[in-house]
Order: sequence, then C-alpha cells, then structure tokens
Amino acid sequence: MINPHPGLPEFDYIKPASLDEASRFLAQHPAEARPLLGGTDCFVRMRDGLWNPKYLVDVKHLDGMDRIEFDPTLGLTIGAAVNMNRVIASPEVNKHYPLLAEAAHTVASYQLRTRATIVGNLCNASPAGDTTGACIVLGGKLHIFNAKGERTEGLHSFFTGPGKTALHPGDIVSAISFPIPPSNCSGRYLKLGRNKVGDLAIVGVTAFGYPDASAPSGFRFKIALASVAPIPLVPARAEALLAEKAINETTIAEAAQLAMDACTPIDDVRGGARYRKYMVRNMTRQGLSDVWACLNQN
Amino acid sequence: MSLHRINLTVNGSKEQVDVPSNWTLLQMLREKLAITGTKNGCSAGECGACTVMLNDEPVNSCMVLAVECDGAVVITVEGLAQDGKLDPVQEEIIKAGGVQCGFCTPGVLISARALLDRNPHPTEFQIRDALVGNLCRCTGYVRIIEAVKNAAQRSA
Amino acid sequence: MPKKVSSVSPRSVGDESLRSVGNEIPSPIGESVTRIDAHEKVTGAAIFADDIQFGPNLLYARIVRSPHPHALIKKIDARKALALPGVKAVATGADFPGYLGLYLQDRHIFCRSRARYIGDPVAGVAAVTEEIADQAAALIEVEYEPLPPVFDPEYGISPQAPLLHPKLGDYKVANFIFPEPGTNICNHFKIRKGDVDEAFKKCTAIVERKYHIPQIQHVPIETHVVVARADEGDRLTIWASSQSPFAQRDLIAKGLGISQSKIQVIAPYVGGGFGSKAGVSMEALAVAIALKVKGRPVKLRLTREEEFYTAFVRQGLVGYFKMGCDKDGNMLAIDNRYYWDGGAYTEYGVNMTRAGGYSGSGPYDVPNVHIDSYCVYTNHPVTGPMRGFGMPELHAALEQCTDELAHEIGMDPVEFRLKNCVRGGDIIATGMRMHPIGLAECIEKAAKAIEWDKKSKPSAPNKKRGKGIAIMWKAPAMPPNAGSSAYVKLNEDATVSVSVGGQELGQGTFTVMAQIAAAALGVPFDTVRVATPVDTKYSPYEWQTVASRLTWSMGNAVRAAALDARKQILELVAASWGEDPGDLDIKNGTVISYKSEEQISLYNIVIYGIPLPNDQGWLGGPITGRGNFMPTYVTGLDKDTGQGARAVVHYTTGCQAVEVEVDTDTGKVDVVRAVAAFDVGKAINPEMVRAQMEGGMVQGLSTAFFEALRLKDGVLTNPSFVDYRIATSTDAPSDIQAIIVEVPQEDGPWGARGIGEHAMVPTIPAVANAIFDAVGVRAGNPPYSAEKVYLAMLEAGIVK
Repeated sequence: MINPHPGLPEFDYIKPASLDEASRFLAQHPAEARPLLGGTDCFVRMRDGLWNPKYLVDVKHLDGMDRIEFDPTLGLTIGAAVNMNRVIASPEVNKHYPLLAEAAHTVASYQLRTRATIVGNLCNASPAGDTTGACIVLGGKLHIFNAKGERTEGLHSFFTGPGKTALHPGDIVSAISFPIPPSNCSGRYLKLGRNKVGDLAIVGVTAFGYPDASAPSGFRFKIALASVAPIPLVPARAEALLAEKAINETTIAEAAQLAMDACTPIDDVRGGARYRKYMVRNMTRQGLSDVWACLNQN
Repeated sequence: MSLHRINLTVNGSKEQVDVPSNWTLLQMLREKLAITGTKNGCSAGECGACTVMLNDEPVNSCMVLAVECDGAVVITVEGLAQDGKLDPVQEEIIKAGGVQCGFCTPGVLISARALLDRNPHPTEFQIRDALVGNLCRCTGYVRIIEAVKNAAQRSA
Repeated sequence: MPKKVSSVSPRSVGDESLRSVGNEIPSPIGESVTRIDAHEKVTGAAIFADDIQFGPNLLYARIVRSPHPHALIKKIDARKALALPGVKAVATGADFPGYLGLYLQDRHIFCRSRARYIGDPVAGVAAVTEEIADQAAALIEVEYEPLPPVFDPEYGISPQAPLLHPKLGDYKVANFIFPEPGTNICNHFKIRKGDVDEAFKKCTAIVERKYHIPQIQHVPIETHVVVARADEGDRLTIWASSQSPFAQRDLIAKGLGISQSKIQVIAPYVGGGFGSKAGVSMEALAVAIALKVKGRPVKLRLTREEEFYTAFVRQGLVGYFKMGCDKDGNMLAIDNRYYWDGGAYTEYGVNMTRAGGYSGSGPYDVPNVHIDSYCVYTNHPVTGPMRGFGMPELHAALEQCTDELAHEIGMDPVEFRLKNCVRGGDIIATGMRMHPIGLAECIEKAAKAIEWDKKSKPSAPNKKRGKGIAIMWKAPAMPPNAGSSAYVKLNEDATVSVSVGGQELGQGTFTVMAQIAAAALGVPFDTVRVATPVDTKYSPYEWQTVASRLTWSMGNAVRAAALDARKQILELVAASWGEDPGDLDIKNGTVISYKSEEQISLYNIVIYGIPLPNDQGWLGGPITGRGNFMPTYVTGLDKDTGQGARAVVHYTTGCQAVEVEVDTDTGKVDVVRAVAAFDVGKAINPEMVRAQMEGGMVQGLSTAFFEALRLKDGVLTNPSFVDYRIATSTDAPSDIQAIIVEVPQEDGPWGARGIGEHAMVPTIPAVANAIFDAVGVRAGNPPYSAEKVYLAMLEAGIVK
C-alpha cells in the first residue's frame, strides 16, 4: 500500500566547503548519504519511503558546478548544478546543441525545471529520462570527481539498470561536457506523454543525423529510445542500416522497424508494451524524417 | 536532526528563522512565518499550488528545502501587489473571470508574473507552456490564459 | 403546441410579494458583475481551512489504515505509539460504536471489527507535530485476518460472493432507498414503464452494448482538511473544508448520539469540492481523536495520495445498454441494467444509484423503459457524490448507443437527437410530466456553432477530423425536502449583510446571492456583503452545497429574505409618511413614493427606525429579513415500477459538441473546438455561467482522455498526480464556446436553475462520437487514451 509521509523524513543537511570534503563524506557513509542537486527526484522518493538517507550532501554551490562554458574547439561544458531552464535559455546551447534545449524543454514544468538539472536527470537513470537521449547522441561525457581521483566517463556504459548507474560511493558528477557537434547536424526529440506537454515519457525518441563522407549512405544517424527498455536504448541495427543504405522514405521505415524490433518495453501504468512498440516505430520514423528533411535542406 | 539558522527576505521583509533540515520552503512559509497565501496541493512538485519566486525564478516551494534558502529572496502571492496596487496579472485575472475556488490562483499568478518578466509578449502557446505546472480543476484555464494575454498587452 | 406545465405551484415564506415585484428584470440580475471574493483570492488573503491559525496547543493527527481490501481486525496494539514523546492520544473504533451515513447508515468512524477497503481507517494518533504523529502511526501494530474480497459489482451480486455487510438489514436507511439484506445489494431501483419486449419487436435497429465506466476522483486542488476541538462541556467545534456544514453537524451528531446543538461547524472557502467535500468523510476521524484530547484542537489533513484513495471517489459502472428505434428513427424502447461499483460503504452512493435509475433513460422521450439499477458493495474505495451524480457515467455509454442507433438507420446524429429528445410536456421514464425546457434549442445552437454539416480539413496528412455531439439531463438528486434559508440584515450605513448556509466552492454562489439580494431589495450591488465563513452556530440552515441547487433553492430563500426586509422597510416608511406601502419602492438604496415623490435614504433608519414628529417617539426597529425555500411537491416513486407524479424538482438539460483531430500515428486526440449549450433558465451572472460551462468542458475532456482510478486487487496503482493525469493548461482547447439558453424555471429566482454539474456530463460521449466520426472506430471504455484509440484503429485495420 502506498502511503507517503506528509513531509520529508528526518535527515541531516550537509553543506561541504569543497568537492574533496563532499566526496570524502559520501565515501565514509556509503549507504546513508546522497549528493543533492535539484532534489526533484530525491525528495519524492524520500516522501514515498523508498529512499531514507541520513545525510543529504548539497553540492550545488561547489566550484564549477554552476557554469555553462562553450569553447569553439573543446565544446560545451555544463556544470552539474545548472538548472534546466538555464540550459534551455543559453545562447550557446541553442546555437550549437539545440537538441539538448529541445529535450530539456519537455521536462515537467517551468517551475520544476528551475530546480531540475541535466546531470541530476542522468544520475537518476530513469529509463524515461527526457534528456538522456540527447546526451547520448551528442556524445556527452560526465566529469566525475572523487577524492581518490577524477575521471571522465561516456554514457554508453553509464546506465546499468532502471535507476542504477556506474557511480561509486564518493563519486560526484561535477559537469557534463559535449564535443563540438558534426557540421550540419540536425536532431529531434519526440516525446509521447499523456498530456500535450509535460508528463513522463510513455515513449521518447531522440533522432540525430549528420553528413559523413565515410558512411556509404553519406550520413550517420544516432538514435536513442526512452521508456522502452530497462536503460536508454540505442538501436544499433537501425543506426547501421542508415549508415549503409541510401536514405529515403523506405530506408527510414526500415530503420524504424528495426528500432521497434530492438526495444523491449513492459506493460506499466503509463502504457502497454504492444502500444509502445508501435509508437517506437512510428515516432522513430517521424523523428528520422524530420531530421532527414533538415539535412536535405543544408 | 540539526536546526539551521537561515536569513532570507520574504516579500521585501527580512526574516531570520531556525529550521530543521527536513522542512521545505513551503512549510517554513506557511507554518513558521504564517504566510499562508501559498498553498499545498500535493507535496510532490506536480500541482504548482505552492509556486513562489525564489531569487526571481518560480519554483515549487514544496520541492525546495528551507535550509537551501539562506540568503534568498522569496516573493509569494502576498508580495505581488505594490503599496496596495494590484499587479496587472492580478487585475486581469479578476476582470477575465479566471478565479473560481482560488486555491490554484496564488501559484498561477506567480508563474504568470514570472513569464511576463522574462517574456513580455508571449504567444498563446508560450503562456500555456509556462502554466503547465499549475493545475486548475475549476476554470478549464480559458480565462486564466486570457488574463495573462491581457496583462501582456497592457505593457505593450 | 404549448405543453401544460406542472400544476403544482410552490409557495414559501415571504412569497406574497414574489409576483408583485413586477415583470422587468431588476439590476443586477443578468449582469456579469465581478466576483465578490476575487480580490481576496488574488492577494492570498482568502482563508482556507489549513490557513486558520491556531495556537501552540494545536495537535496534528495521522491515520492508520488497513492495507487489506477485506479483513477482520483481530487486535490493535498502540503501546509503542503512546510511548513516543509528543503523542497525546490514540483513538480506535472501540470507543465509537455509532453509525454514520447520509442515506444509509453503514459506516463507523473507525473500523470496529472489519476493514472493507485498502485505506479504511483503523486508528488515529494525535501528537504535537504531524511528523511525530506520522512516526507514531507507523508504531501502531494491527493484527488482521484477511477475508476473500469483492472487486466487481457483478461478482458482488452473485451467490458466490462473500457478504461485505452482513448487518445490512439493521442499518437505518432513507425510505426511498431499497437495500436487499443478505446480499451485497445496498440499493435496487427499478423503472417499469410500458412493455419493452413488445416494443423491441417493432424496432428496425437495436443496439446492445456493455460499458465499464471506471472510478475517477474529484481531484480538488485543495485536499480535505479539518480541525476539531472537543470542550470539557462536550461541545464540539469543527473547522472544515466542507460543502455541507449543516449535514456534517447532523451526521456527526447522529453518529455520536448527541444533540446537533452541541456541534458547531465553521466552513471557510473551499478549494474545490465537486462533491468530494459533501456529507461527512474524514472529518469524523478528527472529531473522534479530538474527543480523546479534550480542549486541544486536532488538525487532520489528507496527503494528495490519501485524497485519491481514502476520500470519496466516483462510482464505477458496469452497464448493459439495449435500445431500439423504428425505421423513422423514433426511439421505442430502452432496457438497461446498471451494476454500480459502490465501494466499501455506500451511505452516499446508494442515491447515485437511484438517480442513475430514475434518469436512466437519458434525456429522451421513450415510451417503453425497463431499468434495473443496482448499487453493490465491493472492497474498493468509498464512493460518494461527484459532479453529475451518476449522469456522466450513464451518458458516457448511453449517448454512444444513441449515436450508434442513428448511424444504423442512416440518420444524422443531430437529427436523431432532435427527433427523440425530451421536451416540455413529455411524460418521462418515471411518469413525471416534463416542465418547459430548452434542450432542442441547445441542440440546434450547438450544432450550428460547431458547423455540424461542414467538414473541415485536417492539419496534416496523418490526421483525421470528426465532430460529435451528445446531450444530457440531470435533476438535483436530494431528499424531497431539502431546504434552504437565509437572513438579510442591514447595517447603519445601509450596507446589507446576507447570511446563508451554502458554501462558496468557486462556483460563485456568494456573488450570485449578493446579486439576488441587491435586486430584490433595491440596493446597489456593491453595498451587499455575504457573511462568511458559514458557521452552523450563526448561519441559517442549508441542506448541502451539492446537486447544483443553490442558485435555485438558496436563491429563492435569499430573494424571499430580501423581499421580507424590503416589506418591513416599506411598511416603516409608509407609516412614517402616512402612505400606502404599495405606492412605495426602494431604488438604488433610497425609498421613494410614486405617489408623493417623497424620498428617504436607508441610512440609519434600518437600525434606529424613524422618529415621530415633535419628539413624540419612534417607529420601526432593526430590519431583519428572513426567508426560506423548500420544495413541497416531490412525490415518492413506486418501489416496483419507479413511477410517481413528480420524481424530481426539475431538470437542467443541455448539449455539447466537439470537433476532434485524431493523429493516426499515435492515437492522440486533439480537441480543435468545443461548444457547450445549456438551458439555465435565467443566467443571473452570465459570465460566471459561461465559466462553469468552460470549466466543466475541460474537466469533462480530462475524464474523457486521462482519468481512471486504476484499481488492481483493491490496490490503487495510480494514487498521485504522476500517474493520475488531469488536464493541464496545454490540454484545454483554445476554442470553447459557451451558449446560454434561457427557458425559465417556473419556481426559480427570475427563472434560474442550476448548471454546476451539467457542464461536464456529456463530454465523454461527445468525444467518443467525434472520434467515431473521424476514424470510424469506438475505442471501448473511457478514458480514451491515445493507446486505446491507436489500438482500436489497429484492430479495425485503419492503421497498420
């Protein structure tokens, strides 16, 4: 029986002075402490009784967490504490990575996006996460601080299951960075929710394409699917087909079918597996068509 | 569980409050400061009845810890009117007939005010999009949207 | 041909001058004045129940609830809870043997020996903070013995089903409700009119369908909240977000076995009701706990999740519909069976079954009607009144069946409705003669406004457009003697104070009552105030704020009270002037004589009277007008046939039409435009009437596309906004037209009748009919999610 608490259960709020201090504290209390960014997922789970951390370690104020930086050769870096509205409004994001802004804009509501963060969305590792697809296809890399040593990690092996990531106790993701995108690229995020705007994705399709002379078709496409597998799903065979065969309505339809075949959705309170599979097909077809139309224009 | 002393400004007035770690901004406003215009509709960031301005941006105050508000500037519905003069969004929502039970109204007004602050001439879709996190069960949104349009036109 | 209207004409106290005020409509009746509560609501000053400030002595309550849908309660051990510092008391059913209930007393305050739904209250804790109360509640140990449950009303009726209320035969019940003891049937309403079997033989087209309309919830943005305090003198004070302060007082008094005079219910603004805050539900829990901590107020507020499954929900309906028409499209017979999923307690729900029964033919003139309407106990959440009171559930199915009938004989659906819709003078399913109504006018106007005959182009190649129409009727469902009363008093400065017992839920009743008082008294609208909050100690009696009855019933009472005050004023001034009161009038707050052209302002005289000349004494005294209204003409209905002279006070009728665009790639349905047309008799405040039509349309659309309580083995699997979706600002259509039709209600104030509920009744079938027009399929049971529509198109081969 679901019976959430009226308010948040008791915990201690910790505000460390440095990333190092934060990491050490988290490592010392592996089962009892969680890092805190926007809190929009965390507080809901705590009220529901699913998470019961003794400590919440606020890392938003720490060095570099708040920056959006763009470099013409290195690419874009978004600090972990940057809220989604800032990402959506950023001129650099809109100019070079409009797909990321488009995806972020579909999340929940304006007031929730004032607190929600891209990094938080990724670390939450919900298969329904709206920005995970964009981060994957844009080649996002996570900067992970740990008192024992920093590292960068790509997203291809970051998600290990619903709500599970490759992060270890003491890890704090401090930023996500994206390389300069391929020239003349185009991307789309299509989200099927119950309401017209907002809601969680029943199915989410991220489609991204760019000219690439090394591909027999002259183009490479990247596709990521939300809410149709335990983790964000990349339908590799669909991507391979689009690199091989000449792009037209038929190829796109074939690729969409391959995407449908690749996914393993479940029945849940939001939607049935059968419907989701058809939606993957139809929305992948739509997304690829939209991207293809843009690529053709260029 | 520790208490944290925080200093913040609410509706232009300086406050100093001792709050437990697990109190939300909404709880602090309503139960420590007795500023009850902002409402609790779900405690889960879904309905928007608790929307306030936090450092010039609208947030669901049920999803913000009070302790995170040290040094913050908060505006609630009570702070929209200046010297007894209603804000245009307040005047227009009355004129348009966009208030029925009134429970969603405080949150709606904050979201509307924030929208017009960042986008003085929004399209109808932009208005709807900005209000998607404010649930209303009575009005069907029709007159709320019209009110925001009219308020935007006033500053044209 | 003019139809004869009901020959019974209602009277009420203060009524003598009702007809003599003249035939012209006085200001501000029919004017869209600004709401009187708008300013405080936009400034955050309006007080709702959770805003009321209590002192440091306030305690908070949390409830322990059954995790089993059906179980015996063997043992409750509260020792660990009571030992927690800050905990002041624990209450259980052991101390409260009384029964509660509006129409059927089948419910204890706390479960005593048996829990009947997941969420059934078993114990309550009061503590100094809500957090401690919550921790204490988790420490209360309850031993249950699960029992086999019932989750379906058809199963509940079958002989295999366990009995959920073995004592049904002993429960007190209203004399118009017919439970069947020894079964799970808590009400069985029948209509037997004409001979359906013979009539079906003459039908060219017959449609037979089964529909399952799911439970939904009201989702007021303000959840239930109550504060209760018991004093040493055994007096109870209750502050509640309540639609029905007097009903709460009465039901709690009866449940505790005490006098109504010992209970005071104070009801501030309600943040949305829709029926969920009618009657008594969680308020009794706070009262019981308060009795254990005498002298200290105890606050109980429901979380949103608790609101979804422990507050009232709307009944589910399993309905069998059979209707037929001849080749010319005349509906000849209706044979329907309704199995209402009443939930664990049906103290309120039994009357929805009755209303669903007597209005079960829909708004049609059909000579042969056979209806069985069963309310069945199940181990599901408790059902209570929700906007429409059985009508949305019924019409969701019925209006799709009539649409199908029309299509089957090749008749246009609008033409079919116009041919068969009920009109003034028709004898309806209960044998009552229908009063004058404007349903046909509503249909014509709605069809015209949606451009029914025009096909419009879809916005993209993968989209299809269609139009659908649905009509409705509903009568206020209430006891035959539900009464209203009002006082009108004046202040020294001639401002007016109107006291009522009805509640402002957002529908605008306080504003309308102020308009009625201003018009009847003859004073400017802005001098009229409504005395708030409603308080059973000081406010006049009002049965409940439900049934869309206030404008009509309480409006009559307020009008009578204002006329009574007017009469006293005119008699006073006439005596002072030596004139006949019949030559005097009040205009704009000034008493004038049409004969002598004398004038006097109302200032002061309404309190201090008028001095006699030469200091020889005084005339008059403080003016206090009183009025009441209670329908006197509703008759009973035969237990076996449902026939009676006057089943209900009146019907409000209307129509909705929608144009949809279906996305054939996803099944998503967009409402391009929507039209509502309702006959409200007289729109006292036209913009507020339109606002009800708009709000009702959007709430109706929300139920059409999104809403269902997904119960699985008695567990609510979507108990929050995350997965119980309602319409947001982006889902509301940008083109909603609200058309007011006015065929006066004979005994309504200036002809007015209600609109509050009706505005969301026909929306589901209008949408379903439009989807059918667009893509040629019906998607089964509502809600018509994109998934259902897509899969229906897939099954039908419309998409691959």
